[in-house]
Amino acid sequence: MLDIQVPDFLEPVVNTFRYAPLAIQVAMVFIIIASLGTLLAYYSILRSRYRGYQRDKKLAFLHPKIDNLIIEEVLTNPTLLKDDVPVAHVQLNLEPFQELPLHKKWAREVLTERIIHFRRNVRGNMGELLRNLYLQLELDKDTMKKMRSGHWEKKVQALVEFTSMDMSIADVTILPLTNSRNRELRAAARHAYIKLSKNEPFKFFDVVTEPLLMWDQVELFRIITTTQNIAIPNFARWITYSANKSVVSFCLKLVVHYNQLPAVPAIVKLLETKDHYLRADAINCLGKLRVPDAEDKLIVMYSSQPLHCQIEILKAVGRISSGRHVDFLKQEFLHSTDFDLRKNAAKSLVKNEWTAKQVLEELLATANAENLRILKHCMNPLIKY
Amino acid sequence: MSKILLVEDDEIMPKIVARILPPSEYELDHVSNGKEAFEKLEATNYDYDLIITDIMMPYANGFEILSRVKSPDREKTIPVIIVSNAGNEDMIMEGFKLGADDFLKKPIIPAELLIRVKRLLMKNK
Repeated sequence: MLDIQVPDFLEPVVNTFRYAPLAIQVAMVFIIIASLGTLLAYYSILRSRYRGYQRDKKLAFLHPKIDNLIIEEVLTNPTLLKDDVPVAHVQLNLEPFQELPLHKKWAREVLTERIIHFRRNVRGNMGELLRNLYLQLELDKDTMKKMRSGHWEKKVQALVEFTSMDMSIADVTILPLTNSRNRELRAAARHAYIKLSKNEPFKFFDVVTEPLLMWDQVELFRIITTTQNIAIPNFARWITYSANKSVVSFCLKLVVHYNQLPAVPAIVKLLETKDHYLRADAINCLGKLRVPDAEDKLIVMYSSQPLHCQIEILKAVGRISSGRHVDFLKQEFLHSTDFDLRKNAAKSLVKNEWTAKQVLEELLATANAENLRILKHCMNPLIKY
Repeated sequence: MSKILLVEDDEIMPKIVARILPPSEYELDHVSNGKEAFEKLEATNYDYDLIITDIMMPYANGFEILSRVKSPDREKTIPVIIVSNAGNEDMIMEGFKLGADDFLKKPIIPAELLIRVKRLLMKNK
């Protein structure tokens, strides 16, 4: 048995514990652990609050100084008024910036953050001059260090800084990050790649190995459709060649968004894929693009398709609304055994109303109670689904 | 001298706008949210030649300011420029529907803001 030397003043406490019943001993241990935990929690809260207070104090001192310097040296720089001097070649007066404690990392970080904040508010020559300031103060070296860091948060921060400053990053550095297992890093890297890659902003589609999750797709869609000045490629390239099904599915959505009719042959070819989920996406895409030439092919393949592909075909015929397949829709509405098929056939019939008016009137007059209810539901313009 | 009210919750934007609009020609008042904007407008009896406002702000947003300033009950109409980084189509359309005279998406080009301000002030004289 381990013999621990206990100070005299603790002797009564130790004896009380030693000779107490087991339940009391367990309870005492729990109380001690809980008390220590609470003290530790209070200590860490106080410590982080104190650090926050110190940081706020530093920022309150530094922010106005930085803002004034940026306004004096950049925003009211006389070269901005001269048309003959290219902004990229303007040498800024950096001497006043030496008043700042730039030898300290946190001060350089605050300055970078502030320049980014200014650049989010102004562009044009002023924005370019702010970028010059960032480069001439060599703040890009700090960003590069963050980029090489092992912590993903630092990498994300570096990517945001590079993107905000419109700095190019080598493909070898950024492309692997577009495939990162960390969701935040992956999103930031893809965002940065689309914004910064001058030649092929969508090259990372070629290297995506993991499926693009739904959330990734939503994020990417937002980035692609809201980023200005990016060259939108023909997405048929990935629809034809990508082995990653989620990339193909995502490209189909982009084709619809950008109304890329030259991609139609690639989508029609995709109808032959064995993956019926992808096939359903392709049918959906053809319908949304309103490709009348695809309609006949869809009708021919209809009977051999699984249910969700059949539903997509019915929807596509409704969207294309060429009026050539009213009889097919009527047959499906009247004779299909599946409720969803009947409902979608009715909706598509209504969408073909310009040519199916007589058929609809006939159906309304002769339909049984259930069919009548489906038709009225589909004809109500206030009901979307 | 033209009186301009800037409603903007970002702390940097007022500093930038103050540099873009020369103080010799423009008297610039700044408030940082919709509520303060209403108070300022009431206190001055809507005596402004132009309002530059953001959309997303605490207490009352830019659209609420627009609806009040552009209300048909008001005798004097003040031109309003929206300067916002929320630049989706719906928001722009909503702004114009409520009577905005111009829309600028952040980041702004300073010279562009100056020209638009001058043009609106000239038009309203």
